[in-house]
Amino acid sequence: MFVQVNQLQKVFKGHTAIKGITFNIKEGSCTALLGPNGAGKTTTLHMLSGLLSPTKGTITYSKERDYRSHIGFMPQHPTFFNWMTPIEFLQFAGKLSAVPKNLLKEQVNNTLSFVGLTEAKNRKIGGFSGGMKQRLGLAQAILHQPELLILDEPVSALDPTGRREVLTLMEKLKERMTILFSTHVLHDAEQVCDEVLMLKDGEIKWDGSLTSLKRTFSHTAIHIETVEPIKNAFDNLIKPHTIHFTTENNATILEITPSLHTNDLLTTLLSKGYTIQRFEVTEDSLEDVYMKVVEI
Amino acid sequence: MKNFITLFQKEMLESKRNGKWIWLPVVIMILGISQPITTYYMPQIIEKAGNLPEGAKIEFPVPTGAEVLAATLSQYGTIGTLLFVLATMGVISQERQNNVLTLIMARPVSAFQYIASKWSSQVIIALTSLFLSYVLTWYYTNLLFSPVRWIDVLISFLIYSLWIIFILTFTIWLGTFLRNSGGIAGVSLTLLAALSLLTGLATRYMKWSPATLRDQATSILIDQKNLDTFFLPVFSTIILSIILFALAVNTLKRFEHF
Repeated sequence: MFVQVNQLQKVFKGHTAIKGITFNIKEGSCTALLGPNGAGKTTTLHMLSGLLSPTKGTITYSKERDYRSHIGFMPQHPTFFNWMTPIEFLQFAGKLSAVPKNLLKEQVNNTLSFVGLTEAKNRKIGGFSGGMKQRLGLAQAILHQPELLILDEPVSALDPTGRREVLTLMEKLKERMTILFSTHVLHDAEQVCDEVLMLKDGEIKWDGSLTSLKRTFSHTAIHIETVEPIKNAFDNLIKPHTIHFTTENNATILEITPSLHTNDLLTTLLSKGYTIQRFEVTEDSLEDVYMKVVEI
Repeated sequence: MKNFITLFQKEMLESKRNGKWIWLPVVIMILGISQPITTYYMPQIIEKAGNLPEGAKIEFPVPTGAEVLAATLSQYGTIGTLLFVLATMGVISQERQNNVLTLIMARPVSAFQYIASKWSSQVIIALTSLFLSYVLTWYYTNLLFSPVRWIDVLISFLIYSLWIIFILTFTIWLGTFLRNSGGIAGVSLTLLAALSLLTGLATRYMKWSPATLRDQATSILIDQKNLDTFFLPVFSTIILSIILFALAVNTLKRFEHF
């Protein structure tokens, strides 16, 4: 499914939560919606799933008919009818999403085993743990095999094991459907998604692929540590202001120009007789990049 | 239509599981039959309970069956209204408060289907309870007092049902914009009481009021009088209920934060 969002705006009682954002979601992509708390992630996802109507702007789906049957939505804290069992709830949800009657039973069972709830299928939802509810939330979102899966903070409330499990499930789902999910756990975004949408104060700060985001914002740096002081070792190789000395044996080169080869640095050091203790080329993590983008 | 049936079945199952299908009929039935029974045994009750002086004699005129049934209707009007409002107050606000409404409305469900499922299930439970209770009370009344024609009983029940439908629709409508169940019951009962009071005080201007239906149902049993203004409250109650229903659908549609 292809979604086109144009000049989307949302005003709550005089407070503008979303300030006219424009973006596209490509068919088959997996997009992460990043941003600090209060950036408007949930509002955006609610508008995309039809729970909120935009104040201004349009959301166009490639499907003309009631698009809600082609969308699977999982809210941040999914809640159910506590008196139902997972089977009952999924059958209820499946009927509402017009899953054909003859396929319903099979699909419910498949979905339950996919999210690993087969053993608990006849227990009351009221006694479920947070992780199980999260998995049931995912189950109800994928039950009717939607083309677009919208997940609001699918892993934020989970322990490391649960997070791992949900991410593995998402990895599998990626092959079948377009996924849009919001998160503030950057490491998770990096693991499953390939497109990134960054939101801050209701405005888009970045829209593009994860690799180009890193290429644009991330910095490479070289850390060198030697036994002898290296104050003047690179005098003719690099400009003095791009090198930073923490101690006299410790240097960090911040700006790496294409003409500078890391091997030249090494040969220079070796030929001058330095004893190298550490030589490391580091790249900014997604977290560093995120901080940079958010602070623009 | 299909989604309406799914939602309706869920409502029925929920009412069965949480016991509403048991407690509401039982309580309304007890409320109903207590009227003929206490009326019948009133002389004995007073004799046993009171510190009457030696030789005191109390004469009770024996009421007719129709009068006993009319007194039962007045019980339904006070305690019955309270029970029906309490049973209906949380049907929407609860689902909105614990966010399960998000999961329902993210699917192709319309606000009309949702409200209609709530409304019809509540009306069915309430009217079934009222019917069982009324028929049982009628049986005891015939047994202990003078008999009442079944056709009068049926017509008074049908008229009274309109009042029940009105209070349920009113409570459901309040539930689409008030979040707190207690608040819904409070507002609903206060306004219904105000309506009844106003109907009693300004009879001349309130001939259309749904609260007059209760008097209409009573007079069908007792004297068949005042039936010339019979159609006005019936008509206005049906119209008012339809308007409240439409308002409920509209409020839910426009309501943003589920």
